[in-house]
Amino acid sequence: DDEVHVRQKVAEVDPQEMADFDRELRALMQESLDSRKLELRSRPTINMIIPMNLFEGPTKEHHSRVMEGESGDDTTDEGNGGTKEIRVKVLVKRGNKQQTKEMYIPRDCSLVQSTKQKEAAELEE
Amino acid sequence: EDTGGDDEVFDYGKGDFTEHACRYCGVTNPACVVRCNVPSCRKWFCNSRGNTSGSHIVNHLVRAKHKEVCLHKDSPLGETILECYNCGCRNVFLLGFISAKTESVVVLLCREPCLSVNALKDMNWDLSQWCPLIDDRCFLQWLLKVPSEQEQLRARQISAQQINKIEELWKSNPDASLEDLEKPGVDDEPQPVALKYEDAYQYQNVFAPLIKLEADYDKMMKESQSKDSITIRWDIGLNKKRIAYFVFPKEDNELRLVPGDELRLRYSGDAVHPSWQSVGHVIKLTAQEEVALELGASQGVPVDLTHGFSVDFVWKSTSFDRMQGAMKTFAVDETSVSGYIYHHLLGHEVEMQMVRNTLPRRFGAPGLPELNASQVFAVKSVLQKPISLIQGPPGTGKTVTSAAIVYHMAKQGQGQVLVCAPSNVAVDQLAEKISATGLKVVRLCAKSREAVSSPVEHLTLHYQVRHLDTSEKSELHKLQQLKDEQGELSSSDEKKYKALKRATEREISQSADVICCTCVGAGDPRLANFRFRQVLIDESTQATEPECLIPLVLGVKQVVLVGDHCQLGPVIMCKKAARAGLAQSLFERLVLLGVKPIRLQVQYRMHPALSEFPSNSFYEGTLQNGVTINERQSPGIDFPWPVPNRPMFFYVQMGQEEISASGTSYLNRTEAANVEKIVTTFLKSGVVPSQIGVITPYEGQRAYIVNYMSRNGALRQQLYKEIEVASVDSFQGREKDYIILSCVRSNEHQGIGFLNDPRRLNVALTRARYGIVILGNPKVLSKQPLWNGLLTHYKEHECLVEGPLSNLKQSMVQFQKPKKIYN
Ligand SMILES: [Zn+2]
Ligand SMILES: [Zn+2]
Ligand SMILES: [Zn+2]
Repeated sequence: DDEVHVRQKVAEVDPQEMADFDRELRALMQESLDSRKLELRSRPTINMIIPMNLFEGPTKEHHSRVMEGESGDDTTDEGNGGTKEIRVKVLVKRGNKQQTKEMYIPRDCSLVQSTKQKEAAELEE
Repeated sequence: EDTGGDDEVFDYGKGDFTEHACRYCGVTNPACVVRCNVPSCRKWFCNSRGNTSGSHIVNHLVRAKHKEVCLHKDSPLGETILECYNCGCRNVFLLGFISAKTESVVVLLCREPCLSVNALKDMNWDLSQWCPLIDDRCFLQWLLKVPSEQEQLRARQISAQQINKIEELWKSNPDASLEDLEKPGVDDEPQPVALKYEDAYQYQNVFAPLIKLEADYDKMMKESQSKDSITIRWDIGLNKKRIAYFVFPKEDNELRLVPGDELRLRYSGDAVHPSWQSVGHVIKLTAQEEVALELGASQGVPVDLTHGFSVDFVWKSTSFDRMQGAMKTFAVDETSVSGYIYHHLLGHEVEMQMVRNTLPRRFGAPGLPELNASQVFAVKSVLQKPISLIQGPPGTGKTVTSAAIVYHMAKQGQGQVLVCAPSNVAVDQLAEKISATGLKVVRLCAKSREAVSSPVEHLTLHYQVRHLDTSEKSELHKLQQLKDEQGELSSSDEKKYKALKRATEREISQSADVICCTCVGAGDPRLANFRFRQVLIDESTQATEPECLIPLVLGVKQVVLVGDHCQLGPVIMCKKAARAGLAQSLFERLVLLGVKPIRLQVQYRMHPALSEFPSNSFYEGTLQNGVTINERQSPGIDFPWPVPNRPMFFYVQMGQEEISASGTSYLNRTEAANVEKIVTTFLKSGVVPSQIGVITPYEGQRAYIVNYMSRNGALRQQLYKEIEVASVDSFQGREKDYIILSCVRSNEHQGIGFLNDPRRLNVALTRARYGIVILGNPKVLSKQPLWNGLLTHYKEHECLVEGPLSNLKQSMVQFQKPKKIYN
């Protein structure tokens, strides 16, 4: 029955529009990259200051903590608040000062996947 | 000028007044929006895709070539400009998150150069896991939430096209709103239509964008027509399908529901009832302005409920798609029309051609009234020419003439004749007349209109399919009965049923002499393999060019366009498309190209006193009367006409016009009150309601008069309910014995709007058979030359009057000097 479909105005994206948009987006990306390459002839060095105290404290618990799920199994139950999330600290600069903010990101995000994998690898070693 | 319902306005308002609302769709959730950080811009956008491939913020950044954003202060990260933690680069197209070492600390780093610096590798960072901020044309959803489905449904449904336009507009006017797009002059005008075209590709290049504009506008308008709190009256049809009756209030005269339209009926659910919805087709509009909607679903319909339903319009692109398709066929398929017609339509100089056919001895046809001289002349010349135009002023018998032409064409043995008109009503009338000549006629209806009752039901294809063979042996008949009883068939039976039905449809269509359908209907897939050498299009001046093209590209060699370019043309909703010339019909362009229309000259409708002014003003005085004064005198009707042998007067009104409640239309209370008095006087004098038509150019006044009469009518309420009150435009092609025209416009300095169009005045003045009363303000109307002429005509004949109806006196009101019209 196609009635269910009709209900929400299912976004019908015009393929032509999509192609045009993609082309413009890619062009903008490329232009951004190219301009940076030209601007910064000499490679800058890394001059980030990552406050070491961030890595102290009970972070081990943090990153593996399942926020809202009850059990450890990785069922993908979406929608009703059952998504499992991980708390991360985001480091931002306010002027010259660093600040950390907390945020939740999904467990299956590649950002945390990698740390998890690494941990696993490290454990195996 | 096009405003939707109240709720919509409310939502738009909310969007506009909250500073951080998405400038595209109005979503305001702080977790979902970011601000473009370009100082000249600083607009907010959300992270939903809506109807486009990229999210709104990404759309904006790409279209505007802006690259920096700032998060909302109530977002998880607080008011933060997104920038590279190392170098401070703010170009979001370069930024991505990365985990600092192995811990759950993340930072934003730019792809170039910071990510490619070797030092990071040395620091043991996993660079392969850099996670770009913009992924799949959307911001990372855990940084910038996507609005919920609910939020998105409530938001403005902006299209990619509108986004492009508003972004263009912002370049010159950064504070412009989406509504400004509809205002004239702020956007590039499309290429206007031309008189001649190099080739069919150029033709397509001009018309395709106009059709697209009109389609987009139509879609936007119809889909914004959702109505809530609808009360339903349930019924069940003969075919056992559920029918919902309800009143669909209309805001202004832009959206007119017609049978065949698709609507969605919804119930949002309550403690006892689950939410429910079903799509159905309008099968009828009752005199009480009730809509009858036949539902597709028969199961689970909450028939125990009557209140709290919602109705949405389901927009269909079919007609526009067919126009675009016809233009394409016209361009790429050389067999679509004959070479002569191809060049002629494009305005190329072509040598005059005659059609070599033996002419019939008599030009009339069996079953039709005798033709008059101008009708005979029309039939005769049309039969000899590959392209002809017939102009049929009001009441001159163009349907009969058309039927006679079709009769003779069909008898020439050149295959089936295709007969079309833009409106279903006109197609039905023509089908009936043609069938009266004894020809075999098939009336092809859109599938969505099969349940709509028609005066020529027996001619319709779906009826004929059902009744071709109803014997026990007929497999199709058996399956049809089964389907009717059970509502559906097993999939194998359904397959068999469809195949048999298709075969029967073909058989019946192929054996017909004449196929009748609307212009859009000629693009029906069921006619895809048919070829028609001879095509007649009635009411062709009410169709757009691409609409007229649909029936032509099926192989036409001889075409007859019937219409009247002195009456109203096609209705074009999108002003920009109309300005570019989409409202000009093919008939008109051919006239401009030098094709002389054959004019039918004898009118059989109006009292001679009523036809005098229209004949002189619109038809160079050529209209002759086929009816006498005696034939248009109604014995026993005692109505206070100021001049006994002239059943007409202009009733001077000085009441002010007002803007209607919807804000988009006008009304005039004094005129409405006097309309009621005139109607009552007619009724008291023995005229019956069905003989009277009240017409006015404004929906606001139409609704007000209906309301006023039913509340204040001096006689039985029912009598007033039976009187048709309609817009001038919707009365085109029809007639009534008595017409009351309420002009509405009465102001010092504004114009007279709709009344300015001479074609509308022509239509208004030529609907009455026996008598007409015009109510209006001469001081205002006389500024326009044509109206000035009309007022002078009435004054000279002592028919310009004022005072109470029982004691009408000639008015001495002074006219204004008419202004020259600049076009
Ligand atoms: Zn911007
Ligand atoms: Zn948005
Ligand atoms: Zn950087």
